Formats: sequence, structure tokens, C-alpha cells
Amino acid sequence: MEKDVLNKISAKFEVEGKIQRKQRIWIKVDKEDLIDLCRFVKEIGFGHLSAISVTDWLKDGEYEVTYHLWSYKDKILLTLKTRIGRDDQNINSVVPIWGENAQIHEREMHEMFGVEFEGNNDLSPLFLEDWEGPPPFRKDFDWGKYVREKYYNKKNERENIYFEEV
Amino acid sequence: MEMESISENEYELFFGPAHPGSGNFSVRLKVDGERIVSARADPGYLHRGFEKLMEYRIPIQNAVLSDRICVLEPLNWNLVHAEAVDELMSIEIPERAKYIRVIMAELSRIQSHIIWYGVVSMGTGFDTGFKIAFGYRDYILDLFEMITGGRVYPAGYICPGGVRRDLPEGAEEKILKVLEKMEEMLEFEKMENPFHLDRMKDVGVLELKDAIRLGATGPVLRASGMKTDVRKDEPYEVYDKLDFEVPVRKEGDAYARYWIGLEEIQQSINIVKQALNNLPDGDFIAKEFKKPKLAIKIPEGEVYVRNEVARGEAGIYMASDGGTKPYRVKIRGPSFLHMIPVLEHLLKGAEIADVPAIYWSLNVCPADLDR
Repeated sequence: MEKDVLNKISAKFEVEGKIQRKQRIWIKVDKEDLIDLCRFVKEIGFGHLSAISVTDWLKDGEYEVTYHLWSYKDKILLTLKTRIGRDDQNINSVVPIWGENAQIHEREMHEMFGVEFEGNNDLSPLFLEDWEGPPPFRKDFDWGKYVREKYYNKKNERENIYFEEV
Repeated sequence: MEMESISENEYELFFGPAHPGSGNFSVRLKVDGERIVSARADPGYLHRGFEKLMEYRIPIQNAVLSDRICVLEPLNWNLVHAEAVDELMSIEIPERAKYIRVIMAELSRIQSHIIWYGVVSMGTGFDTGFKIAFGYRDYILDLFEMITGGRVYPAGYICPGGVRRDLPEGAEEKILKVLEKMEEMLEFEKMENPFHLDRMKDVGVLELKDAIRLGATGPVLRASGMKTDVRKDEPYEVYDKLDFEVPVRKEGDAYARYWIGLEEIQQSINIVKQALNNLPDGDFIAKEFKKPKLAIKIPEGEVYVRNEVARGEAGIYMASDGGTKPYRVKIRGPSFLHMIPVLEHLLKGAEIADVPAIYWSLNVCPADLDR
């Protein structure tokens, strides 16, 4: 079953795919092919977008955007992975394909990682109110340091314990 | 945020965060007279950043943290997290541990559905139902205290490798006794009740095609007529060896969702009974985790684990770069979709008085929305 689905996809697109285990397929895809591939997999049954996630691979200087899709028909979880540069954080939105479900996931990822989803017209803050720092889930954002600098006073003897190196 | 007035009849109304029934969550309603023109969810009151916190901690610590993802069903979230680590580290879980995990997860589902019944009753003005539900829930909390040591938070009882400790002596009999109590309560809850009928019948109807588009899962999707359950679709632990039904309804209104909850309590009772019957002897934790070790390396890789928690589909995406801490954890909570797109969709065009019935019929949990 998993093989059939993977063959169907690799017949149309140049992708690097692997079957991790029963009911799990992982596919790497270029940023340019992403939208076409998403349209295609939606047509073959992957109608439920379980989650969109971003991983910040600081060493590679890239963000990896992952789309976890579930097919109610084939009972398979398909994950699409695509990489974008940390300095060029634009990626096409999948809102035209999965609708409001994708919209809200992209809004969260934009807030936490700063990834720009082109075509998503509502990327306003979701969880963080009056937040002025950098997107907080980035690997280079040190929340410990941020909190110390913003909320604690080193000269206060009850608070200077927070400045000791751990 | 400022309230802005739009026209003579239109005004903005806040449902929450200080509403007695809303939890740590708020919806801004634009209202024309009694009718809601549009709704906008305003989450974030409970945002603790678990995904980031987990990147700084080892799996044993994260197991404790995973309790807090949802206050109302901590053991289910324990299980999702533990399964993600198990799969990344390819650990063989002993058979007994699997059964104990299922028993605890189902007991947790029962008490979560009892809360659901309680808050739906409270929201619709049936206070007796609320009190009965929370009274009976305490029997299960007593069990949790005996088995895990904590009434509400089990402190990572279901941990990577199995469970933290074996069932204590006499636990089986006690669980069976509590299940009897639950069946007694169900008899009361299953009485058709004018409070619930009047307030919820034909209110907040969610069509199947909208439900799929908006990302609804679990009881909400099943109440709209889709027969799906992660426990059946991709059985984890020992669910493939257990016999249970998946309740489905076609109406898609608040009343149908409420009934799905009650029917699921009955199914969970059956599951726990079967699991207790088949409970094998043996270890309760894998040998890698028997002695607590701090620096266990997680092999490089990534997994996406799905579970059926009381509210719907729970998912954890975990990636590791070979260190002792996960490199990235993404938590997918069912309420994230139920409380933002689904709720906004259902509230549009509803009346102000129906807001609590719609809101609570979705079995929401602000904690797993915000994480």
C-alpha cells in the first residue's frame, strides 16, 4: 500500500522518498515543486492536514518546513519536507489547498519562526501579545538570557543567582 | 485590544477570558443584536512554550513536562510523548507495560469525558449534572493517586520504556469497583434530559465536509458522520487485540457530540475490563530504562506519532540530531483546530445564548491549544 502511493508520487515528481515503517512515508521535495505536489497528494486522498511544523537547522543555515498529511482512505501518514534558507524565509502558502486548517498552522509557525508564507493573508500574532523580541522558537534565540536581561537585576542580591552560569 | 463600535446595532463582545465557563481562552464576538456576525479566537493565555522547553531537557524530564500539555487528560499526553521517544530509540516495550499504558490511558479518557459532561451541563444550566460528574470523577482520581502517586498530574507515570512503576497490590479489584461506579453514573447521564435537548439539539451544526476542511478530529468529526479513530486506523500499544466500537452520529450538532462522549465512556469501560482480563505478567519497563540514567543518547532521526486522546487526534513530531535532548518537538493538539477554525466557523450566525453550548460541546482544552 505504502509502495503504491510512493510510486504514484515519484512517477510524477522528482522526489526523494522513503517508507519509514507501516503507514509512514517521508518525502523530501524542492521548494519550487511543493505546491504542485501538495495539490497532487490532496487529489489522491491526503485530505487531512495533521500539522505543519518548522525545524530550525542552525548548522545548515536552513529551515525545514514539514507537512504531516493523513489519508482517511488509505490510512497512511505522509510527511512532506522542504528546506528554505534562513536568510530567505519565503515559502508558498498551502492555504488554497487545505483552507483554514493550513491557515492557522502557518500563522503559528510564522509567529514562532518568522517564516513568511506567501499567499496567507492573515499572519497576525496568535499566542504572543506585545512581543517585540525575535521569533522565540529559533535556535539562536536564548530565552534564558532574554529573561535575565529583561526581567532581573544583577545587583539585586535575591536575583543575582539567576546570572550564575549553569 | 480596543473595543471599537461599528454601527448602532453592532458591537463587540468578549466571551472569556474571565467568563466562568471559558477557561483560559477568549473569543471576540462581533454581534448584531442577538446574532453573532463574526467571531475571532484570541488564544495565548496559557502559552508556556513546551515545544521550546523540551529542547532543553532530556526525555525523562520531558515525560513530566508532557503531563502539563493538557490538564484534563495528562496520562494520554504522557503516552504520546513516551511513544515518540520509544520509536526514535527503537525500544521494545514489555507486554505488561503496554497493557498498563492502555488501562491508564482509557481511565484518563473516561475522567476527561466525565469533565466534558460536567462542563456541558454547567454551560447549559444543568448544575446537577456538573456536580454529579465531578463527584464521580473523584473515584478515578483516587485510582490515579494509588497507582501513579498524583491525583491530577501523574508526573510522567507513562514514561519512555514503559511505566514508572507496576500496578500496586489490589489495584485490579479496585479498578473494577470504580468501573462499576462509572456504569452507575452513565445510567444517570444517559437519561434524556430537557436541559440538554433544549439547549443543544440543532445547535452548532458542523457539516462533514466543513469538519474535514477545518481539521476537526476525534469526537467532533465522528459526530459529523465520519467513522475514524486513531486507535482503529493505526493501532498503537495493544489496541489491535482489544474489541471495541467507534460510536458515530450523523447529525453533527452539539447534542450529537455530547452523546458521542457518553457512548465513548462505555467503550472505554469495556476496553479497561478486557485489558485487565488479559493483563500478562512480566516487566513493567524496558531494561534500558530500568535504572535511571541521565545521559541516554537519542539516535538521529525523526518520527511523527499519532494517538487518539479524549479530544481527538494528538500528534508529536520529534527530531533528534543524536544528542541527549530532542532537537525539535512539535506538539499537535486537537483543540488547536477545534478552538480556532472550527469554533469561529460554528459561532458565525449563532445566537449569543448558544455560545456556551457550542463552545463546550467541542470538548475544548485551552491548555493543549496554547501548549
